[in-house]
Amino acid sequence: MLGIDLGSRNVKIVNVAAGTVKKKVIYDTIAFYRNFSRLDNGKMVIDWALLDLPEEPVIATGYGKMAVSLADARQIPEIQAHVTGAVYQSGHRDFTLVDIGGQDTKVVRVREGRAVDFRTNDRCASGSGRYLENMAGIIGIDADELGLYYEEPVLLNSTCAIFGETEIIARIIEGYSTERLAAGVNESLYRRLSPMLKQMKSELIILGGGGALNRALGRLINEDMRVKAEALPEPQFNGAIGCCVWGMDNAGKGGAA
Amino acid sequence: MNQIAFTSTVPVEIIIAARKIPVDLNNVFISLDRPQDLVAMAETAGYPRTTCGWIKGLYAAALSQKPEGLIAVMEGDCSNTQALMETLEIKGITTIPFAYPFDRDPESMELQIKKLCSYFGVELEQAEKVKKELDAVRALCLELDCLTWRENVVSGEENHLFLVNSSDFNGNPAEYAEKLEIFLEKAKRRAACPEPVRLAYIGVPPIFTDLYKTLSVLGARVVYNEVQRQFSMPFHTATLAEQYLAYTYPYGAFARLEDIKKEIAVRKVDGIIHYTQSFCYRQIEDIIYRDQLKLPFITLEGDQPGVLDARSRMRLEAFISMLK
Repeated sequence: MLGIDLGSRNVKIVNVAAGTVKKKVIYDTIAFYRNFSRLDNGKMVIDWALLDLPEEPVIATGYGKMAVSLADARQIPEIQAHVTGAVYQSGHRDFTLVDIGGQDTKVVRVREGRAVDFRTNDRCASGSGRYLENMAGIIGIDADELGLYYEEPVLLNSTCAIFGETEIIARIIEGYSTERLAAGVNESLYRRLSPMLKQMKSELIILGGGGALNRALGRLINEDMRVKAEALPEPQFNGAIGCCVWGMDNAGKGGAA
Repeated sequence: MNQIAFTSTVPVEIIIAARKIPVDLNNVFISLDRPQDLVAMAETAGYPRTTCGWIKGLYAAALSQKPEGLIAVMEGDCSNTQALMETLEIKGITTIPFAYPFDRDPESMELQIKKLCSYFGVELEQAEKVKKELDAVRALCLELDCLTWRENVVSGEENHLFLVNSSDFNGNPAEYAEKLEIFLEKAKRRAACPEPVRLAYIGVPPIFTDLYKTLSVLGARVVYNEVQRQFSMPFHTATLAEQYLAYTYPYGAFARLEDIKKEIAVRKVDGIIHYTQSFCYRQIEDIIYRDQLKLPFITLEGDQPGVLDARSRMRLEAFISMLK
């Protein structure tokens, strides 16, 4: 079974056999479309051999599936894929899932293993993975290092991802330390997220998507909301894993092709 | 020429009694092949990007339509209408203010109707006579609505289109009625629609051009178009004043809630889409609807005219799959 999550920044593919993850790969979205896929009669065809992946039933999700449908694949809604993946990976059935992707953030209330309500960020990408990457670049560190800092944050107030860049340049000129600037970026991410999180609150918060690699975020959630926040073991592959789990659960019901 | 335009639903009976052609500028704007060009025209004139897309569309529609007069709803719609009216006045458009009394006071309503009658040199009796004639057309709208939610033979989009056009009857009530009658005859012979998820659509009509089609592809159908239905005046009333007091749209969230609660119960709705326009004060009222309506709820935001963006589509897809 192959699960594929066609994200805005990265394409994630997971190969599951006999209930275990055999292989997982991640590609930059643009490079993936250029090098491993082509259009055939308006449908996207993926070169599985070139990817060194077996030709198996495919379940797809993500933004990409809206632009073009994947030939010979079942497609499932993103939130369904992410919830299914999070239930499988965490072993929990009641929690709030925070998925911070490249361009958007989804906050989903999960009860008894099913999505019962959700919120998404508004139109601006500030508070998404892309925002973190850009800001880290401006400060001159990588996204992993950015995610280490949460103490004494510099106040960053812009609601727009691009104006946020201008704002942080001004703070750099004012001489703030890298640590405080990075903490400010993380705190601004949390501030964007927190109204959605409070509306969808649970006793347990589970973090998925690339943003879950930012360790400061879990700490900020925990400090402010006094609830447990934990990242999934494979946060970036959660959607693709969810696709595989959905495919296995629905095999024989038209799930797996 | 001979056209009297308006910014939001007004007592169209008075315009017709004055032998003028009613034109709802909202319909002119959104029915164009490229409504986004009108938004661009308004922005070029200086309308801020952070203003309601409908207001910008109305501005440019009024300028391109050049009506004999424009009735501007100054109370009971949004305050942007005031600046809209003023920026059109300096372009030489004659504007006529109309106000729905927020407290639903019958005397104030009667006074507004009389004022509008006297502006057009129409006797109230003439306008009331037109109301009686339009009652028959509006009865067809009511039938359309029943065929939508009770018989499930009319789609949410068909319901939307006929009801949204009932604000001005496309300028010709007789022609509108004939078209609707033919449609109803055809619809009655259809088999019931299969979509399993039943949705309520509340809020102003969508600026998105493919919302209803997308919902249908995702396996849901709209069985209640709240404001569009209100445009068709679905009440049994004796006078114009009574009719425009029963009309919920101008009287705030609580007046609308009463109607919404009643209808979503009768229509056995699974979930609610609350559509709000970017930069509109009704985005704040979302708090009230979320609090008061105890059904799965999604708030959809539209800015510029065009097809649904990927993010909104993703959200609708998740919402509908949650309801299945």
